[in-house]
Amino acid sequence: MRTWKWGFTCILVLLMFLTACETSGGGSTSEGTQTAGTSSGEAAGSGEKVLKVRFYDDPAGFDPANIFRIENENIAFNIFSGLTTYDSKTGAIIPDLAESWENSDNQTWKFQLRKGVKWQKGYGEFTSADVLYSYHRILDPVTASPYAAEFNNVESFEAPDPHTFVVKLKKPDGNFLHQVANYHQGQIVKKEAVEEFGDKIRWNPVGTGPYAVEKIDPTSEIVLVRHEEYYKGPAPISKLIFSIMKDDATATIALQNGEIDLLMRTNREENLDTLEKAGFKMNRVDNYAVSLKVFNLEHPILSNPKVRQAWAHAVDFQAIAEGVTPNLQMGAANLMPEWMEGYSKNVPIYEYNPEKAKQLLQEAGYANGFKVKNLATSATGVTDQMQLEQEYLKAVGIQLEFELVDTPTFNQKRNRGEFETATRLLPAVNPDMILFSFLHPDNISPKGLNGARYNNPEVTGKLEAVRAEVDPGKRKVLYEEIQKIAMTELPYLPTFGGNVFWPSKQNIDGVVINKLAQVNFYDVDIK
Amino acid sequence: MINYTMKKGLQLFVTMFGVLTLVFFSIRLIPGDPAAAIAGDSLSAEALEELREKLGLNAPLWAQYIEYLKSILSLDLGTTITTSLPIAGLLLKALPITLIIAVFTVLLSVIIAIPLGTIAAFLAHKGKKALDNIITWAAMLVDLMPSFWTALLLMLFLSLNLRLFPASGAISFDDPVMFFMRVAMPILVLGLTQIATLARITRTAVLEVLNEDYVRTARAMGTSEIIVVFRHALKNAMLPIITVVGLSFGNLLNGTVIVEFIFSIPGIGSLLVYGINSRDYPLVQNVILFYAFVFVAINFLTDLVYKKFDPRVQF
Repeated sequence: MRTWKWGFTCILVLLMFLTACETSGGGSTSEGTQTAGTSSGEAAGSGEKVLKVRFYDDPAGFDPANIFRIENENIAFNIFSGLTTYDSKTGAIIPDLAESWENSDNQTWKFQLRKGVKWQKGYGEFTSADVLYSYHRILDPVTASPYAAEFNNVESFEAPDPHTFVVKLKKPDGNFLHQVANYHQGQIVKKEAVEEFGDKIRWNPVGTGPYAVEKIDPTSEIVLVRHEEYYKGPAPISKLIFSIMKDDATATIALQNGEIDLLMRTNREENLDTLEKAGFKMNRVDNYAVSLKVFNLEHPILSNPKVRQAWAHAVDFQAIAEGVTPNLQMGAANLMPEWMEGYSKNVPIYEYNPEKAKQLLQEAGYANGFKVKNLATSATGVTDQMQLEQEYLKAVGIQLEFELVDTPTFNQKRNRGEFETATRLLPAVNPDMILFSFLHPDNISPKGLNGARYNNPEVTGKLEAVRAEVDPGKRKVLYEEIQKIAMTELPYLPTFGGNVFWPSKQNIDGVVINKLAQVNFYDVDIK
Repeated sequence: MINYTMKKGLQLFVTMFGVLTLVFFSIRLIPGDPAAAIAGDSLSAEALEELREKLGLNAPLWAQYIEYLKSILSLDLGTTITTSLPIAGLLLKALPITLIIAVFTVLLSVIIAIPLGTIAAFLAHKGKKALDNIITWAAMLVDLMPSFWTALLLMLFLSLNLRLFPASGAISFDDPVMFFMRVAMPILVLGLTQIATLARITRTAVLEVLNEDYVRTARAMGTSEIIVVFRHALKNAMLPIITVVGLSFGNLLNGTVIVEFIFSIPGIGSLLVYGINSRDYPLVQNVILFYAFVFVAINFLTDLVYKKFDPRVQF
């Protein structure tokens, strides 16, 4: 009896301690408001501006030929330049190292390069020879660049003079400017630096962009300094320090404590709430990419379009997003996000209507429903969204089961088509990247991203026609027709549009997250 | 003794060989490979195949195995596949950080837990159930608290509210003050769990010994209670305590993944998790080889310490 009493007292004491912690945790929000925006990012005494940024994973190196994962790409985006780049706000193609270009048939592209552009770290002046070297390096089998296939359509690269660069394509491609943008294979490297550093080039990148590498410690931080001779003039902030902080809660506290100025991406609603209430600036980009549910069309039941349409009517993805992730997700009605070139509103819309779903299932011959498996990663587990979808489907008779595997296994199974339904989110700025990848039979997995194994000759014809089309009006029509068919046959069901947040202190200006979820630090300043 | 050392040496060799073989093949049994990890979401099968070829993943398994044995025999740990960083360098950088955390955690727990456990045992022995129960219950509660939760609580309390320690920041020996500020919270979190486990083991071990005849004899001879408990009882109860300390030191040396993750500590645990997630075969193989080495070495040291406390132990 006495033992029991003592145990009880101990639990009571512990509970009191916890409550105390909880209250003081809540009290800190007012403190947070005070710090938000008041502390300056200037290094003591020097007057030089230093920005401290959270980096959320181990860096994997910054060689454009083999770079991967969005956070690494964001660093490379600020070190390198392409012939073209993206406008941060609209996602449109704008000039970068190429001042202008000519193209009459979507097949021969002639670029006029900017003069007087300087490489970082004293590697001299940029010329067309650098572009030639960079693109040939991507194609060289020795480099084994995963992005070599992006230049599959290239007939030849030529550099007739130091400031002219000409690309001839095998087949016309109206979207070619995306291929030479400041992203992956499009980023220009310096031959001398690549040869000097050999295998270690990924940790010693040299570019022509606004920031150069000062120091990389792959287990703790990446330090960039501004490139004083950047062609647009030096960036406002002289030093960027990216500290690796993998845990979102830790990063949130670090921002509240003033240890960092800017938080690269947080993916948890509760942290966003905390920071918003504490008065931090919630820099965001909405609907940067659309999550798709991939139906394996080789599945005997899912191969019926009525079943897929029934699914679309059965689940209220908009309501799920509003209930579970009001900040991070929104409903989606098309394969492409609204801001993208060629996006069309004139596609079939599937309003939430369980009765209609039941009717469609009945027409398809599955009035009693069926069982289907959804492949997902153990990293995310069975999320609230997935559970709600399961409930919605149950109401119309579809029993959704989950198969959880670790991420590399997930990628492998998805590539090989070893799934019934799966999900995919592909950040892209180029309509072809989405439509070609998902709908063209050449890209049927495992060769490409067409995981549904969709093959409709009519769509294929239109996809190829739009590439060759020069007239913007006709392109728009073709894109609209493709989207209409895709949204009628529904090999992929758009579920959520994703939003990305980079919370910062109030005095950090110009954090614009582009449509690839990256930030151009040239535009960022500390007030 | 020489005989014993040789025997242990041979054991070390056999264990390490077994571990490296097992790890070599088992990591390849998991679906996915480094190429797939690098490729991630958006790579064509063709490009993936080329990447495999370049990374040497298309060679027959036995050829890869022999290559690996050769590199180990020449003491070359190689570089990681996904980031081409020297593995020996990564281990050497992570080791001191993990080592310092492990040593301080063990010191902290030994200094607090052993007297605490001994006192609890003494109280129990004397029939003072109440105080003993507080200690035992508290130890059990702390022991059962998951470390990620304690870590977050400490972070909220010590970092956000009291601003005692930073939640983030570089860990570098160039700045020793900052270094200790950064490792203080991990040591506290890990120490709490260690203290709880160790205190309970100590209590049980000492309590058992307190009923032995020689303790009664010591008392009968008029020896003071403190000397009876700490010299006669505790010393003789040391063997299980040493085993636990040794084992937990081994565990700590191999890094504590969750705590390292939360506090952004670039220790050995983080290294292994990174290796597994990116299917970086050489990294995983060599980090686990290091784990095996640590455990065999700690066992050897534990045996040596046994002899110090119990001269009857024969090698």
